[in-house]
Amino acid sequence: MPHPGSTSCQSPFHALSRRRVLGLLGGSIGFGSLVQPALAREIAKKNKQVCLIWLDGGISQFESWHPLPGSQFAGPFRSIPTSIPGIHFSELLPHTARIAHKISIIRSMCTKDPNHSTGVPRIQRGDPIDRGVDYPYLGSAVAKLLGPADPELPPYVWIKPGNGGFIAREAGFLGAEYGALALGDGKAPIHIHRPESISAQQDEARQILRERANQRFKSYRGSSEIDAYETSYRMARQLMARKDIFDDTRIDPGDRERYGSHPLGRHILRARHLLESGVRFVKVNSYHWDTHSDNFNMSQRLIPQIDQPFAALIDDLDERGMLDDVLVVLMSEFGRTPIINSRLGRDHWPDCWSLALAGCGIRRGAIVGNSDRDGVFVDGTGYDIGDLFHTIFSVLGIDPRRKKYRHKGQKLAIAHDECGPIREVMT
Amino acid sequence: MSAAIDRLITAKAGGPLAPVADDAAFLRRIHLDLVGNIPTSVQTRTFLRDKSAGKRSRVIDQLLASKTFAEHWTDRLSVMLLERQQLSQVPDDEWRAYLKKSLQDQPRWNVLIGEMIAATGKGESRAAMRFLGKGNHHRLTEDISRLFLGRDLECARCHDHPSVDDWTQAHYWGLYAYLNQTRLATHSGEKRSYFVENLATKKVEFQSVFFDDQEDTGPRLPGGKEIPIPTFDEHQGFEKPAADGLPAVPKFRPRERLARDLASGRNNLFVRNSINRFWKLMMGRGFWMPLDQAHSENPPSHPELLDLLERQFVAHQFDIKWLLRQIAFSASYQRSSRLPPGETEVEPESYRVAHLKGLTPEQLLHSILRATGNEEVRAQESTGEEKFDRRGYFTGTNTGLPTAYADIRTIFVETFGQPAGVPEDDFAPGLNKALFLMNDRLVLHWLQPRKHNLASRLAQMKSPDAIAKELYCAVLSRLPEEDEQQELSTYLEAHPDRRRAGLSDLIWALLTSTEFRLNH
Repeated sequence: MPHPGSTSCQSPFHALSRRRVLGLLGGSIGFGSLVQPALAREIAKKNKQVCLIWLDGGISQFESWHPLPGSQFAGPFRSIPTSIPGIHFSELLPHTARIAHKISIIRSMCTKDPNHSTGVPRIQRGDPIDRGVDYPYLGSAVAKLLGPADPELPPYVWIKPGNGGFIAREAGFLGAEYGALALGDGKAPIHIHRPESISAQQDEARQILRERANQRFKSYRGSSEIDAYETSYRMARQLMARKDIFDDTRIDPGDRERYGSHPLGRHILRARHLLESGVRFVKVNSYHWDTHSDNFNMSQRLIPQIDQPFAALIDDLDERGMLDDVLVVLMSEFGRTPIINSRLGRDHWPDCWSLALAGCGIRRGAIVGNSDRDGVFVDGTGYDIGDLFHTIFSVLGIDPRRKKYRHKGQKLAIAHDECGPIREVMT
Repeated sequence: MSAAIDRLITAKAGGPLAPVADDAAFLRRIHLDLVGNIPTSVQTRTFLRDKSAGKRSRVIDQLLASKTFAEHWTDRLSVMLLERQQLSQVPDDEWRAYLKKSLQDQPRWNVLIGEMIAATGKGESRAAMRFLGKGNHHRLTEDISRLFLGRDLECARCHDHPSVDDWTQAHYWGLYAYLNQTRLATHSGEKRSYFVENLATKKVEFQSVFFDDQEDTGPRLPGGKEIPIPTFDEHQGFEKPAADGLPAVPKFRPRERLARDLASGRNNLFVRNSINRFWKLMMGRGFWMPLDQAHSENPPSHPELLDLLERQFVAHQFDIKWLLRQIAFSASYQRSSRLPPGETEVEPESYRVAHLKGLTPEQLLHSILRATGNEEVRAQESTGEEKFDRRGYFTGTNTGLPTAYADIRTIFVETFGQPAGVPEDDFAPGLNKALFLMNDRLVLHWLQPRKHNLASRLAQMKSPDAIAKELYCAVLSRLPEEDEQQELSTYLEAHPDRRRAGLSDLIWALLTSTEFRLNH
């Protein structure tokens, strides 16, 4: 018996939400001619997706997006011209330099917190004004605000080195169901296959028994632990029905070569497949960017590992006609110090750093903001993480001034009240 | 003491308290907390039939005195102290045997912790040295501070803590100064390593990343006095000369001093942190949370009770069993996890309702084995011929089933536990955990009738009522309600052609229910 919903699902929403199908339609007879414009707009909004690539520990802006050759704190690397006239990146980014006209760089990020332990959560939560609640990370926020792009798939998938699992803590006050499904090393959860000894019919029957037992237990308690537990089973069953999207045999060997065989390359390629399958928000984590010592050798080793797959991802999304709907964010929790320390390292520097954005209402080829001559402080307006969150929500079609979370009867802003979108980077 | 606990909890309750849990819920809870397993079906039925007064107290004392108490608390303390990290060359068996021995009779928490911090690797302290790992000074500073003082000082290595005013960089380096002379040295003859201490000659220097001033400190506990580093004439600083490849033993050994000063009744940070951790394990929530955030802006929920426990724990010489017994005897511990009538939500720090606690991977495995009647698995040893390919089991290339208990235990820990180095979590449901219980071949294998297991026992019963009673007592440690009996008999009637599979479905549904997965 086929697994319910695996390849046999014929619902029009399901079919439309699949990127592969959309790309095909767009390329052959034109999307607009098939459906009414209003419906097309609605579907377009439904199709907004996000890929957040997180370089944990802090990529050096000097060795990437904002090289300042000849300045006081410059490192040993040259800068190279990009496809945007007059704009240079570090020579460690040759692939991205070639597609620079498809992305935007903000060179004037100015955030506050120089510590990892508070920095990562603070930045990934967008640092809203403290209301005494645990704010969700960006992925959980988008999962809540836009819901799943495909109702059968978890809205928030996190590809990371090491262990996988369902990580509820990123959801904060939104509750466990907005947590992340983490794919350890990009692999599908191990027990996704139902043994032959259990038929689909038997599985359905035993699940109903389990759900009833849970309802009875809950009726005297009303605890969020019980809801979270039930959610984990619901998600498990949905995922089992769509296990084909994790199938490694479907990966094109040519793609594998273009993205690179290192973890970041494999994981970003997996992210593209998940976006094509209709996952709303994909986060890809890479660790060990905290170059307090030996910054230059480490950058020389690490930065090519993001350069190659990032450029390939942008190219592929563009070719498939997806770049107008998929927002790609490439960032860390802060930048690195201009001063090179005694261990040839650069330390944490939130005062002036850079990040890359692309797709989904982000201008192509915009370079926003600048630093002083030596890259120490922002020259002109600096942007805080709250501004970035306003930008992200705005391009996703969510108005951060009007849209609020509701939590225990309280209305809570989705982004820092005193910040606003970075217009220069938006179309 | 139990009465005082109840008095002080009630005084701050701020609303109606849940009634005392019924006998079945109490029995399951106390078994899970003290011996790490659900009661057997027979134990449950016997306890429910027993109408004598004092039966709860008797069970508590029996369990505290049992051998399985030491086994279960070996699991709990090992996870608390090592966070499932391998850390050093001391084999798991030796480490567990050491903890188990320490936990029998009258285990003293300060003695145990003192032994681990002071361990040199000689004689009896060989196993205790596992906590010290490879002797990394920063790891030890941070772990000792977090685990024994309730302070996550990691941030304070480079500067005063950014958000906690009580925690300074000097606290970090004061602890560090107790540890920075410690290193592993290899005995030339025995080829094994021992922890030794170098001769301390000067204070530790440190500097904030934000300021230029250089500071220094000798060994000092947070809130305590700095210990002056003694000066000696040349060659006079040593007690024993170098021998066998091991260096000379200095007279001043700050790590040994730390063991004495830290794990002491005079160090109230240690005493209060210890109580908070044991209280959390029993009650499901600490007086302050998170456990490693003990500071003035995160005050304890019940300061008076904590003060009282602090004095009494020291007066009872850090007797772990005494502390657990006082908690277990209290009505606050024995409260129902069901909400009082009319309430929909209670403040967790009020303890008005018993907290729901997740089962640890070990509790879950042992409870599943007991519930399904497959306890002989726990005695299965590795055949030693071929190592079970665990990775292949998870990726599908190994289609065999693990038989050795050690392998099965590891599979459960990897699936249901936190990754190495991460503190044990509260109940954390997970998609991968749900998938495991749904589709794991070994778990499904345990639900097939074999020998005298539950599936086989149920298959031999005729009456749906008898089946329901045995099923609920074995898995959920209670008798079924009427609607549950009804549901069971309807289910069996609806599947007449697959009665055996139907019974497996019924066992599976209860095993995977929240009621089973939680210690309620």
